[in-house]
Order: sequence, then structure tokens, then C-alpha cells
Amino acid sequence: MKRYRLLAFSGVGVVAILAGVLLFGNLNENLVYYLTPQEALAQRVEFPDGRRFQLGGFVEKDTVVRTQDGLRFAVASGVEPGSPSITVEHHGAPAQLFQAGIGVVLEGSWQGDEFVSDTMKVKHDENYQPPDTEGGAQ
Amino acid sequence: MTRILFGRRLTVVGVVAMSAGLVAAMVAPPDRVQGDVQRLMYIHVPAAWLAYLSFAVTLGSSVGWLWRRTARYDRVAAASAEVGVFFTGLAIVLGSIWGKPTWGVWWTWDPRVVTTAVMFFVYLGYLALRRATVDSVARARRSAVFGVVAFVQVPIVHMSVVWWRALHQPPTVLKPGDPSIDHVMLATLLLNVLAFTLLYLLLLRARMRLAVVEEELERTSLGEGQELAGNAVLAPRLERS
Repeated sequence: MKRYRLLAFSGVGVVAILAGVLLFGNLNENLVYYLTPQEALAQRVEFPDGRRFQLGGFVEKDTVVRTQDGLRFAVASGVEPGSPSITVEHHGAPAQLFQAGIGVVLEGSWQGDEFVSDTMKVKHDENYQPPDTEGGAQ
Repeated sequence: MTRILFGRRLTVVGVVAMSAGLVAAMVAPPDRVQGDVQRLMYIHVPAAWLAYLSFAVTLGSSVGWLWRRTARYDRVAAASAEVGVFFTGLAIVLGSIWGKPTWGVWWTWDPRVVTTAVMFFVYLGYLALRRATVDSVARARRSAVFGVVAFVQVPIVHMSVVWWRALHQPPTVLKPGDPSIDHVMLATLLLNVLAFTLLYLLLLRARMRLAVVEEELERTSLGEGQELAGNAVLAPRLERS
């Protein structure tokens, strides 16, 4: 019985520590899935040309241009006009849902002032609406 | 209650609910952005939620076993964990199939995807632990403790999209506030959740019946005073010796 109590206490302790680390420990820096354009611009020196990272944001409206082997467009931190944005040169086919205004996560590296990417993932939001409704995303 | 749970009616109700859910999933309106691909939600989300529920039942009956030491609690915990692993696997596979046309990739090291995979392997570990222990009381005790501790995975999986930056979208329904989904779609989803819950009960019941039979077999075949299997067979010998 004593052994069991010890086991239970240590189990609860491990769980408490895990929960604490997850909630309050600053794990976020190591677990960042992508950088926003704002962060990427602020941390420009840490990512020299050629160092790969993931850049995530929203495709700015009226910036999408087809190129020989892909697309050029601007990725912004937010949907509202005027939020920090980066011009992206994407090589390869766009993802199926790619369109102006949608969230994207791009993998690639800086090339001067531009971000050159070769892998694109589309990030869709948590709002589901039939096609005939407007402005489902609040 | 027990007659509904243990009779044949559960099967009938389950099949009816699943058919209704399937029809509803086909006639529900398509999504504005994703189109028909979004219909995968009607099985992906119930699978994930039922995985949560399964592991919650495992948690509850593990606590129940530690408190009361009744073999029945151990059986429920084991059966529910097994069904939960099935639902977790289903959610991962369906998520992968959904991910290819929407995200553009089958797999990515996204927090939700990775934590779900970890949950899958943790509960596979639970099932492995059960296989690795012969004595039934020791097995029940060890797996009950494991069943309690392993549950920490469930809130981590659910909150992963809120705590960390992810490709997977944040919760639509299981969050504070109004669900951000069209109400016809929400009704379809909830109908499918009901259908999956009935499927869960069916699978749980089948697995528990199997557990009872297995225990019976274990008792009779490992009973004392019985001859070892193969005792009657003579070892092969060279003829000339």
C-alpha cells in the first residue's frame, strides 16, 4: 500500500510538472511552426539568405502575379490593409485552395528583400459556411 | 437501460443513426472555401471527439478500479482504450486525407498533428502494457495508473491549436462562445457525433464480451492439475539408438 501511494504521488507530481511547463514554460520559442511577416522582418539578421524557415500570413489582395514557374505575391501579417508584408517568389504549383485573402504557410528562405519559397501549405480557418452566405469569418 | 445496452436494439439504432448521418453528410451544403472536401469533417471530427470520450472513460474506470478493485472496471478501461486507439487512428488517417487537398500536404509537423500522433502511441503503449503483464491484478493496477496518467494527453491535443501556432485550424465547436459554423452543418455534425457514439458503445460492448470470454479461457486453460499441452506427444527419436 505504501509503495502504491508513493507511485500515485510521483505520478501526480509528474503530471503537475508537465502541465506547468506546458502552460507557463516558455516553450513557444522552440515550437514556433511559422514566423509572421512582422516577426520575419524583425528577425531578418538571424535568418541570412539561404537559411530556411516557414513564413505564414495572409495572401494580400491584388498582388498575385503568375510567373514562369510559379507565383509572385505579397504575404501580410493581417487581413487589414497596411499590416507588414513581404513579397514572395514561389516556385512550383500553388496549393489547390490558394487564393487572395487566404492564409498560407510557405517554406523557403530570404533572397534579399524577397522570400523565395518552394513549398506552400494553405491554412484554412475554423469557419464553415455554405457558398451563398457572405462574410462567414467574423 | 441494460436491455437497450445489451440487447440487439443498440445494433439497430446504431445502424439507423449511421445511415442517417451518412445521408445528412451528403445533403448538407458544401463549404464556401473548401467545397465538397469539407464533408470529411463529418467523420473526422466525430472520430477525434470519440477518441477523447474513449480515453475519458478509460480514465474514469481506471480511477474506479483503483477505488473499488472490481474486475469490471478494468475490463471497461481496457475495452475503451482499445476503441479509443481505433478512433484516434481513424482521425489521423482522415485528417491526412483531408490535409492533402486543403493544406496541400499529407503530413506536416504541426502541433495538433504531432500531439495526436503522440496520443495514439501513448495508448498503444497502454495496450502493450496490458499484454506484457500476466498476473491479472498486477495488470489491472499498472494499467489503471497508466490510464490515469495518460489522459493528460487529451487536453494537450485539444488545446494544442490554441497554445501553439499551428497549421490546423482552432476549434470550431468545442470552444467558449458560439460555434462558428452554419447551423445546418452543425446539426449534421452533431448527428454524426451521435452515430459515432452509438458505434463506440457497440464496439465497447463487443470488446467487453470478448474480454469476459478471454478471462474464462485463461481460467480454464491455466487451471491447476491440468496436463500441459503436448505432454502426450513423444519427442522424436532416431530409430537405431
